[in-house]
Amino acid sequence: MVKLIGLVGTNSEHSTNRQLLHFMQKHFADKAEIEIVEIKDIPIFNKPAEIQVPETVQQLADKIEAADGVIISTPEYDHAVPASLMNALSWLSYGIYPFVDKPVMITGASYGTLGSSRAQMHLRQILDAPELKARIMPSSEFLLSHSLQAFDDENKLKNPEQIEQLEGLFTDFLVFVEIMKQLTHAHEMNKKAAENFSWEEV
Amino acid sequence: MKLVGIVGSNAELSYNRKLLTYIKKHFGNLFELEVLEIKDIPLFNQSDDQTNSAPIQKLSNKILQADGVIIATPEHNHTIPAALKSVLEWLSFKIHPLENKPVMIVGASYYDQGSSRAQLHLRQILDAPGVNAMVMPGNEFLLGKVKEAFDEKGELKEKRTVDFLQTTLEKFIQFINVVTVVQGAPVAEPEDLFATGTVDTTVEGVDMYADDWLEQASEIVQPAEGSEYVKLNRGLLTVDQLNYFLSSMPMELTYADNNNQFLYYNYTKEAEDMLASRTPGQVGNPLAKCHPERVYKGVEWVIQQLRSGAQDCVKVHVPTHGPDKYVVHNYQAIHDDEGNYVGINEYIWDLKPTIDWYLQQTGQKLVGDVDAATSATVNDHQDGDVDAVSGASENA
Repeated sequence: MVKLIGLVGTNSEHSTNRQLLHFMQKHFADKAEIEIVEIKDIPIFNKPAEIQVPETVQQLADKIEAADGVIISTPEYDHAVPASLMNALSWLSYGIYPFVDKPVMITGASYGTLGSSRAQMHLRQILDAPELKARIMPSSEFLLSHSLQAFDDENKLKNPEQIEQLEGLFTDFLVFVEIMKQLTHAHEMNKKAAENFSWEEV
Repeated sequence: MKLVGIVGSNAELSYNRKLLTYIKKHFGNLFELEVLEIKDIPLFNQSDDQTNSAPIQKLSNKILQADGVIIATPEHNHTIPAALKSVLEWLSFKIHPLENKPVMIVGASYYDQGSSRAQLHLRQILDAPGVNAMVMPGNEFLLGKVKEAFDEKGELKEKRTVDFLQTTLEKFIQFINVVTVVQGAPVAEPEDLFATGTVDTTVEGVDMYADDWLEQASEIVQPAEGSEYVKLNRGLLTVDQLNYFLSSMPMELTYADNNNQFLYYNYTKEAEDMLASRTPGQVGNPLAKCHPERVYKGVEWVIQQLRSGAQDCVKVHVPTHGPDKYVVHNYQAIHDDEGNYVGINEYIWDLKPTIDWYLQQTGQKLVGDVDAATSATVNDHQDGDVDAVSGASENA
């Protein structure tokens, strides 16, 4: 069974992005094992001189490292990714490189009509940075708009069209994960490049 | 012009901090820059509202009081640092100090890019509805290869860079002026000179207009008196000592709170002997009662300046005391630890004795005085007399 990590892109108590990941976890239980992880307890990144990440970040990194792929669900704050998610990604690329060549699917939910579209674009750019270098599933977007009204009492998406779209994208993602396994020729070099990469020395 | 510079990094070592420090040092002729840090600001969490915490309130108040903001951003993972994003999230959650505020973006990075991608993201973020800043278009200032850009003294080495920085800063000043025109003069809230509202410290249940307001209010709050101790922000005094201390100030002090109620003056003289008369019975009055109606507009303007932060101190020379005195009324805004406006410290003093003492001590003279040694007329007047027809002496 494919093992995936569902990363909740916010530190907020209430999040429809968390809800969306829980829905996916349940809905796709026969296709993949999705473990939902939180970023709530990660301290603020301040680029410490000693390159060592906190224990909670290391645990998260180990899980990502061991997984076949990652689903990140991001809200949108001020047209961009929430600081708490940027913060987690900063730690997850500081002396450790769990995202290098890791297949990533991006989803997002927002209260309004846009479904975190701009945050998702930013997230793509961020994940493309030299020290993250994730393999982001191209040409696919899942934008859950009006997310407060999107779920029923059992936390299921109400709109069957949305479910269908999500099923399609998820199946594609599983294929993407498989295809990515073939792109291994450069992996060792990519890993090295990320490890040796330093903004200080470029 | 007053600007604030926000260091977009919470790291110990930051070249963006260095860049803002450089701007502060070298462009004092264009504006006054206060460099602000974001190190103490917690990570944004909408479930744990810390909008009212001291570091966020302080930053917000400084921004509100500035004519413009310069943000210096590094680039982390192709975007702005999480710490800076977090600050902007706090400043767009319950409060919106950046709304319509002219902002200029600069950035420094180790490589050639000079934080170009972070700057683009920052523009988009500042454009979001909750932030709504007025970001200066064009004029990107990207400081690449920053490790080589500064010398050991923190000076930018390349003259071209300095010249370009100067040009962009001058354009930013123009931009601020244009934005100000476009937005029109800020409309200040009217002031309640009759103090009809209440604030946390207002003593209710006493007639503000009563001559014995102090005695009546004291009945209610049972304040410390005489030899009782009061713990101050760094010190311990008895109420008596505090009174002696304030009475010895070589100026007339008055405290009016943010509800526009006259609460205190350092009573040492009777009204007729004061530079600005106060009577014991006036304490407790709303400010409207302490002024004639014809000056209400002026009083309101002064308070609006202080409350809004447009000016920290309004100085007014009151020339009604004859040529022997130079009496200045200083209206200084009082702020609490969080930077909130809590009232006016009005200190009134006669500057003349201080200036005379200074001139005597340093042997200097004012330009307005005639100095025989430098005057063109000195040769015609061997005795060094003042030349009565020279313009300069008319003021002497």
